[in-house]
Amino acid sequence: MSPEGAPPHDAAAREAGPLTRRVADALESSGGRMERFLDQVTLRLPLNTIVEAVTRAREAGFDLLSDVFGIDWLRYPGHQGARFSILYNLYAIDAGERLFLRVDLDEDEPVPSITPVWQAANFMEREVYDFFGIEFGGHPNLRKILTPEDLEGHPLRKDFPLGETPTLFNEGRFLDPAAFRAGMIGASQGLTGWVGGARKGVVSEQRPEPSASGGATPGGSAGDGEDER
Amino acid sequence: MSMRASGYQAMTVAEEQSGDFETKLMRINVGPQHPSTHGVLRLVVDLDGEVIARISPVIGYLHTGFEKTFEHRTYQQGVTYSNRMDYVHGFGHDLAYVLSVEKLMDACVPERAQRIRVILTELNRIASHLIFFGTGILDMGALTPFFYTMREREQLLDIFESVSGVRMNYGYFRVGGLACDVPEGFEHDVRAFLASFPKMMDQYAAMFAKNDIFVSRTKGVGVLSREQALEHGLTGPSLRASGVPLDFRKAEPYSGYEDYAFDVPTSTVGDASARFEMRMLEMEQSLRIVEQALDRLEPGPVQDPDRRISLPPRSELETSMEAVIFHFKLVTEGFHPPRGAAYVPTESARGELGYYVVSDGGSMPYRVKVRVPSLVNLQSLEAACVGGLFADMVVNIATMDPVMGDVDK
Repeated sequence: MSPEGAPPHDAAAREAGPLTRRVADALESSGGRMERFLDQVTLRLPLNTIVEAVTRAREAGFDLLSDVFGIDWLRYPGHQGARFSILYNLYAIDAGERLFLRVDLDEDEPVPSITPVWQAANFMEREVYDFFGIEFGGHPNLRKILTPEDLEGHPLRKDFPLGETPTLFNEGRFLDPAAFRAGMIGASQGLTGWVGGARKGVVSEQRPEPSASGGATPGGSAGDGEDER
Repeated sequence: MSMRASGYQAMTVAEEQSGDFETKLMRINVGPQHPSTHGVLRLVVDLDGEVIARISPVIGYLHTGFEKTFEHRTYQQGVTYSNRMDYVHGFGHDLAYVLSVEKLMDACVPERAQRIRVILTELNRIASHLIFFGTGILDMGALTPFFYTMREREQLLDIFESVSGVRMNYGYFRVGGLACDVPEGFEHDVRAFLASFPKMMDQYAAMFAKNDIFVSRTKGVGVLSREQALEHGLTGPSLRASGVPLDFRKAEPYSGYEDYAFDVPTSTVGDASARFEMRMLEMEQSLRIVEQALDRLEPGPVQDPDRRISLPPRSELETSMEAVIFHFKLVTEGFHPPRGAAYVPTESARGELGYYVVSDGGSMPYRVKVRVPSLVNLQSLEAACVGGLFADMVVNIATMDPVMGDVDK
């Protein structure tokens, strides 16, 4: 999430609002780190401090818990570190300040639930559990919320395939959705060899450099580590 | 005698006074296909007599996996999906989505496009509130107002159709501006609506705001205190009915809302009646905003001239090779926002709506998280309903104004 050349911690802290600084100061001992992108401030925290952090933030004046959501970094080019992130989106109504708290975790690592501190997290954490399979310890009712009962797996994980219906054509040709999709995103030759929607920064050996495009697709960043193949 | 024969034992006065008899909570399923649940919302209600002891929403019947779909479509194609979530306030979703992507791309939206966006979003807010009134009062047993509100909504849908080609699922906004300019006669149609609607609002006031039955069904029902509302993450008109003047059009202005003079109606009562009232007052404010935006609507471009984002004009394609290349790149592949994430909170008809868009530098979003207001607002239902009568539950659902497409994503 942090872009290349993001301002370092100190700069982010200087630009942050007073409430955010107060939360960051209160959590300094637990190793929080502030990041800034565009005008958003994200406070990155160790996993086990999240309940304390949310409590502190609420005390400091962040009185609206907007959202709790997960991100799966599995296919993020160049990502290092834990596979998942959970972000807590907080808003201070009177001060008009927004703060994102972020914790990183790997698969099967349980996260302490913040529902004892804030009941609003109930549905939000259930949604993260449903979509990513991240378990929240101490949640009063950790069940699926949006996906059907009989769906196995967690759909917003990056290794969960997009579920199109396989198509059988008249001439007997069978179109496998996964293979078709792999072709579309440039991970394989696909049906026609045409590479559309190519991701920037990913180099595939089979891909011919499009000459007509004036070289707008940078091809130099090999080894970005997107594990498409 | 027949009662005795069927095994029924009438309770004696002594038994009733001592409290020495068996009582059990009764569990009732409401929905998922019940007219008063506004779509496919299922509620499991535990009743103690006629009083609600517990209520838990069961949702997901309309889950469509939009967030996953976003990850497999280009940024510009995302506009097709955003408005399908909240199909009642589609322009609001479109706006929230394009704002986040524009923030990532650092796009510069021309003034005319901004004004048209505001006009359409506010008109759509009125249309959404009209549905809210029509169906909400229908739930209480009054059939007539529904036809009145639908009549005015029809007028709005005609405007939306003339602009975008469809009455629902508009997909008219684009990253960087609009799909095309509004058709001739748009201003005239909107002005006609502005002229006629205040009279209709007077009718509504006579029909229900001052209606005795309506008042007695809503006054003091489902009271949510400021603390309860914040504890459950309530936003939008329902939160303002509980005394928190949070409106993201004022708090974090976007699309030029800071230019317009409008008030944020707030009440401290927090009951169902206040939640109705807030929406009524909001419609007046929306009219004010539309009028101001219309007055300042000047001719001009409606697309960011930046070739990274917008297609080159058709005429250029015949003379410029470069334009053809840009056209080809944008159509086949789309643009590539820099790596990073953006979140722009907006005020939808239901509350805080924002898209957290994560970009990996590719032509498709890496992750799109939609902060939908309806889903979060539904959590307050329990606080509003428990301890109240079963019949009031319907009023509470109506005043929370959930749109199930917005809940289930």
